[in-house]
Amino acid sequence: MGPLAVNEIISENTNLFLAFIIGIAFGFVLESCGFSSSRKLAGVFYGYDMVVLKVFFTGAITAMLGLLLFSLFGWIDLSMVYVNPLYLPSAITGGIIMGAGFILGGYCPGTSFCGASIGKIDAMIFIIGLFLGVIIFALGYDLWDGHYMAGFKGEPKISTALHLSDGVFALLVVIIALAMFWVAELAEKKFAREEY
Amino acid sequence: MKPRLILALVIVPLALVIAAVPESKVRPFKLTANELLTEVAGRSQFISPETVADMILKKDPSLRLIDVRSPEEFEKYSLPGAINIPLPDLLSEDYADILNQDVRMNVFYSNGSLLADEAWMITRQLGYTNNFVLEGGLNYWFEVILNPQKPSSASPDEEFLKYDLRKGAGMALGGGTQIETTTPRTSLPAVKPAVQPVAKKKKAAGGC
Amino acid sequence: MEEKEVKKTVSTKYLNPYLGGVLLGLVLLAANFVAGRGLGASGAVKSVVVSATTALAPSSEEKSGFIKEFRESHQGNPLKTWLVFQMAGVIVGGFLSGAIAGRLKLKIEHSPKITSRKRLIFALLGGILFGFGSQLGRGCTSGAALSGMAVLSLGGFVTMMAIFGTGYALAYFFRKNWI
Repeated sequence: MGPLAVNEIISENTNLFLAFIIGIAFGFVLESCGFSSSRKLAGVFYGYDMVVLKVFFTGAITAMLGLLLFSLFGWIDLSMVYVNPLYLPSAITGGIIMGAGFILGGYCPGTSFCGASIGKIDAMIFIIGLFLGVIIFALGYDLWDGHYMAGFKGEPKISTALHLSDGVFALLVVIIALAMFWVAELAEKKFAREEY
Repeated sequence: MKPRLILALVIVPLALVIAAVPESKVRPFKLTANELLTEVAGRSQFISPETVADMILKKDPSLRLIDVRSPEEFEKYSLPGAINIPLPDLLSEDYADILNQDVRMNVFYSNGSLLADEAWMITRQLGYTNNFVLEGGLNYWFEVILNPQKPSSASPDEEFLKYDLRKGAGMALGGGTQIETTTPRTSLPAVKPAVQPVAKKKKAAGGC
Repeated sequence: MEEKEVKKTVSTKYLNPYLGGVLLGLVLLAANFVAGRGLGASGAVKSVVVSATTALAPSSEEKSGFIKEFRESHQGNPLKTWLVFQMAGVIVGGFLSGAIAGRLKLKIEHSPKITSRKRLIFALLGGILFGFGSQLGRGCTSGAALSGMAVLSLGGFVTMMAIFGTGYALAYFFRKNWI
């Protein structure tokens, strides 16, 4: 019964080793989809390359349905799985700053490591920027820790917030995702640019 | 075009199946029927009123009395320091931390021992430990621990009850040394069960 | 004529995005099944920063609220975390994929409309913003948005909307950098 590490079916060291293996798979898939290219990544904001939307949402609904199915078969105890907490103000401000970082840098932390691993110098510079950004946050921590710690709302799920069951909400996401895929294909045809 | 169609054709039916199935039970039973029967037969869940009275007198911090009757009955009378978890609300999320823990000894009680035993059965099946049932419930508690006093035959029933309750509260809280009983009992209270530690499952830390 | 053909082969070398998405979802599912948590990235950067800071300036542990907050959930070596091991794997995995596909090349990727220098400056700025924002938002697109959506987290969803919403809002002003 999963999660394996939480139920102590595997040791902490095995868990860390598997983290490495899972990371290899993660990096491999990301790079294979082209997430090592900042230009492909930024394309989602202009319509010429919607790979981010397609991969992201397909991944999210696959994992979402996978988890619910596993829970249905009793293979995983969902109450032991980490659900991101909600600190409302910082979730928004952090997201806004990250959005700006995305459009300027064309990467996000995960993809920047992919890009760096195949030799993209702009990805490496982005990573340096990441470290600087974290250091700046750490140095000035006392200035914003009030904001950072404010508005804790627990670990709410979207389904509970909408008063839907998890399964019904997942179905809703699937339908919305499929609709977005169709729109994405149209956008790519309309805004096509040369690939390089 | 084709990959999208394949994806849609596979994922939509899956999502429909998941949406149609009712919310999976959050707390599965940890004990099998056989395991529970063995424990029930051993009657290890019962704790004698003497032991509880002793703990109350000694102000033992590990004791937690849980009244599983309705709030109205709880208001009328409850054992000193008891909290009220009516049986219908037993599985509410609010009480999960009280019932599933390894710090205190929870002792369920009700008028007899029926409700309290039911509460114990359910929590035991969920794998919780350190929960017990007050042997004989409040009825036995009054008979054994408190001094029954014959009021005059003309007094209404309520007077009988009130007298008993007051005397009982006084006796339990006053640190009295005399416990008159109608049935012969040994002078030593039964051995107090030890609180069993529960290995807590640590949820994984996540986030980015 | 030749150019068009070359470009065609380059683009078809990438995995079909829907297939890639399914594979990504399976990796995320595996992470949740094995470790009880989703994927992530910025947390590993945080670990390295904490590790380096405590190594170079041991007194900072008391003085820094940031490090104290980290220590509350991590005892022991700050580098011995799930995310650090995962990110090490990401580097290996990305390299393998690039090697197999013949995409290994040291270069600065940029739109022909801007210089390399401009691209690098923006990359640095973008990184600083993302690094800062990921700490404030408690996650990045991998940890908050992707992994958050998989477990139906409202917090993850809010951060995701903020990231992409801002990206779209600012896209017009930086269009020259990309298209």
